[in-house]
Amino acid sequence: MTASTADAGPVTLVLPPVASMVRVGRLTASSIASLADMSVDDIDDIKIAVSEMITVLIQSGNRTAITLRFETTADAFSVEASAPSGTANLGRNDLALATAVLEAVADEHHIASTDDRILLRIVKHLAPQATSAASA
Amino acid sequence: MEEIGKNESIRVLLDPDGVVVAEGDIDLAGGPLLDTAILRVENAHPVVIDLAAVEFIDSSGLRSLLAASRRAEARGTSVVLRHPSVGVLRLLSITGTTEQFTVEPEPAA
Repeated sequence: MTASTADAGPVTLVLPPVASMVRVGRLTASSIASLADMSVDDIDDIKIAVSEMITVLIQSGNRTAITLRFETTADAFSVEASAPSGTANLGRNDLALATAVLEAVADEHHIASTDDRILLRIVKHLAPQATSAASA
Repeated sequence: MEEIGKNESIRVLLDPDGVVVAEGDIDLAGGPLLDTAILRVENAHPVVIDLAAVEFIDSSGLRSLLAASRRAEARGTSVVLRHPSVGVLRLLSITGTTEQFTVEPEPAA
């Protein structure tokens, strides 16, 4: 990760809750993750995770905007996705499948639902940068 | 090949042998087009889906494949996933669903 990437602060993206936006969110996540010098495999994991998060929110939200927040720190890349809760309930099997995928591709994952909002968060730990330590 | 449909995520074709060919991403937007194509060849034994050109798949796309597998099983046949990409194989492995399909790997170069 470059110092400027972490110093730049979080990036927030607001998407309309339509299926075509899943790809937009995924590709945006990929671009931001690449700035954190993540490996190709880790970036692929982020793409899968973000796709799952947006899909869950589209299917269970209340058809209003989805907010994504990407943050890079010295040791982690995190994505938080949230939307107002809706009346539509995601099927238990569908959520189980999405949760299984998040568990496999993220180092940490969290799904929470309050009366008015659904929030998903994943964290991917960043490998220590040997070159940075050597040049310090 | 006949084009069944395309959108921002996926292009789905049907080849002369009745093989469904998917190109691009199988996600929330791509899954329904894949469903349409699979339903067109629902009477095939087995249903063959070529995934060599699939660059990305998530669990919503996987649900399309699993639904096809369940319908095929009810008809006494199966779904063959032909030449699945690394990403497809990984998602099958992560979700423990590999055995729901007959996987036909890419031939060795």
